[in-house]
Amino acid sequence: MINQFSPLINFLLDQQINLDTIILLLLFPVVVTIVVILRQVVGIKAFGIYTPSIITLAFVFIGRERWLDIKYAIMIYVTVIFVGMMMRYVLKKLRLLYLPRVAITLTVVSFSVLALLAIAGYFGRTGFASAPIFPILVIITLVEKFVTVQIEKGSRTAMILAIETLFIALIGYTILSPTTFVGEDIISFTLAHPAIVLLILPINIFIGKWTGLRLNEYFRFRHVIKKIQ
Amino acid sequence: MFTLFTSSQKILGMNARNLTYIRPNNLKRAKRLADEKILSKKMLSKAGVPVPRLIAQISSRRTLENFDWNILPSSFVLKPNRGLGGDGIIVVYGRKKGKNDVWIKSNGSILTIVDLKTHIEHILDGEYSLSNTPDIAFFEERLKLSKEFRPYAYKGIPDIRIIVYNKVPVMAMLRLPTRESDGKANLQQGGIGVGIDMARGVTTTAVQGKSRIVEYVPGTRLLLSGIKIPYWDDMLRLAITAQIASGLGYLGADIAIDRDNGPVILELNARPGLSIQVANMAGLKRRLERVEGLKIKTISRGALVGKNLFGGEIEEELESVSGKSVIGSVEKVELIGINGEKTSIEAKIDTGAYSTSIDVRLARTLGFSATIDAFDKINLSEFGEITQKGMGIGKKIEEKYGKSIPHLIETSVTWSSSGVTIRPIVQITFIMDKKTITTKVNIVDRAELKYDMIIGKRNLGKFLVDVSK
Repeated sequence: MINQFSPLINFLLDQQINLDTIILLLLFPVVVTIVVILRQVVGIKAFGIYTPSIITLAFVFIGRERWLDIKYAIMIYVTVIFVGMMMRYVLKKLRLLYLPRVAITLTVVSFSVLALLAIAGYFGRTGFASAPIFPILVIITLVEKFVTVQIEKGSRTAMILAIETLFIALIGYTILSPTTFVGEDIISFTLAHPAIVLLILPINIFIGKWTGLRLNEYFRFRHVIKKIQ
Repeated sequence: MFTLFTSSQKILGMNARNLTYIRPNNLKRAKRLADEKILSKKMLSKAGVPVPRLIAQISSRRTLENFDWNILPSSFVLKPNRGLGGDGIIVVYGRKKGKNDVWIKSNGSILTIVDLKTHIEHILDGEYSLSNTPDIAFFEERLKLSKEFRPYAYKGIPDIRIIVYNKVPVMAMLRLPTRESDGKANLQQGGIGVGIDMARGVTTTAVQGKSRIVEYVPGTRLLLSGIKIPYWDDMLRLAITAQIASGLGYLGADIAIDRDNGPVILELNARPGLSIQVANMAGLKRRLERVEGLKIKTISRGALVGKNLFGGEIEEELESVSGKSVIGSVEKVELIGINGEKTSIEAKIDTGAYSTSIDVRLARTLGFSATIDAFDKINLSEFGEITQKGMGIGKKIEEKYGKSIPHLIETSVTWSSSGVTIRPIVQITFIMDKKTITTKVNIVDRAELKYDMIIGKRNLGKFLVDVSK
């Protein structure tokens, strides 16, 4: 990055704060706002606001060196969801109480991810095999959310929400990760003009008061709209 | 593009529902009441609303261990207190012959005490409750399918969802369980929602699941439209009573019909879904706006207003053909005062009268106090005896006082059985059914009368009046 940092960023750097920390803390609100827009205006639900945001961070961490490493993150994500899905049918017959059931699911998911890493290492994908554990754990904990939705709203809904969450996380990743094409520009611009981040406040106030139809509702109510036109 | 915008303005979306209707009208305490089925059951029976009878409740593992299974009747329903979307409910049809501790479920499978216990443990652990917090399980009586709905329901019991806002029922649908929804009446699970004409209680259009339009009961040639809902008027009244008792300003009441006991309220909903608009092929937002701010004093009045305002599909067709809008004999009217402030009232549409008149008190709130006071001071005797037909007295008053009395435009002399009245006439602007009308109105004392305003023929040119409304 050749551009200039704003004096504020230089001051923070002088206080020994890691540049990566500054970038994440400055841009995380932006990711959250994107989640908000996708939910309130577009109508993509995903698993709430926390899960997509935290998954985004996990993705950024995994892809911090090469942007293509995101494929490992996606593979882990898909594994977690797939195993979570399967475990529901396996455990259904055992009639277990809720919490032990989630614990067993988490166990199997952990083992599956371990197996996935082992397979990757065996085929020479050492970059994948040596992926940092913390973001992986974050993705694994997604399974509880997934199982809850599965029980409450059914597998179909859980699957849709999982895909939507992945979609949001990928958008967040593109913006937040310095290794992606847009990410680099956005980050250097923000470091030069950090005050721009404050724009998210009026944006959120506006969205918070906005009572229009969401984009997906135009589709959902298309027959009604046609009828009353 | 513009028409897309205006018609979408009539539809209630998630954002508007949450921000404009649920947030300000449904307070936390009232929402909790609706979410807890046992609590709302008790509250409703206190208010005199029939509900399915509570047989027993189990709130801890200890009560579960000591539970006397013999008190259960041969058919019952087991529910979680704070369940969501019909999950965790077991419907039991009867005891297995010759056995006291084995039952048969709605899908024909066998249910033992051990099965019941496991299921209740799941409920206590919060598996089916909102946000998975520990919950209470309860048994209630099983409703029996009424004759009228027998051909339409697949297993399960159909129910009628009525949305009530400001004591007015604004929209309703019949929810039918299907094979796809596994006997549950929930739309999300594949049930059918059939729109209901509010005035007549007869079904109109139907949707299955979230947005699939259907005409027949799946797998049959049974039409979904034209079903007459029994006890319709009772249901409207029950829903309004439930709204008042629950304190939920914006409520979805689910009402089922029991073969023996008639309509009972199954459940209250503080966040009723939006698919009811697809079932009815109508927008909820415009309906809610129409009843906003109305002062509804009694339950029957609320039911009547709902029927008047939201009945009749035929009328929409009429409107599009004639370009005139159809109004009932009582309509919500917004009057604009001298200083621009708005007042909402209900006005009587009177095709027998030529001109429009408003009550003295109403005129005062609109800012015509000065006019009325000055007019009252006129000594009528100075114009000599008022002869038959009033012969020009109005003209004389206008000549003499027209300039000194503010806002006075004309005077009118009206003969009736009680004698002659001379009324001041002023100009006002009012909005009825989205049309703005500026007109002359006369001011009269209507204290003894039910409505503060009557609208006469002169101002009804843009409307068709449906007296059955």
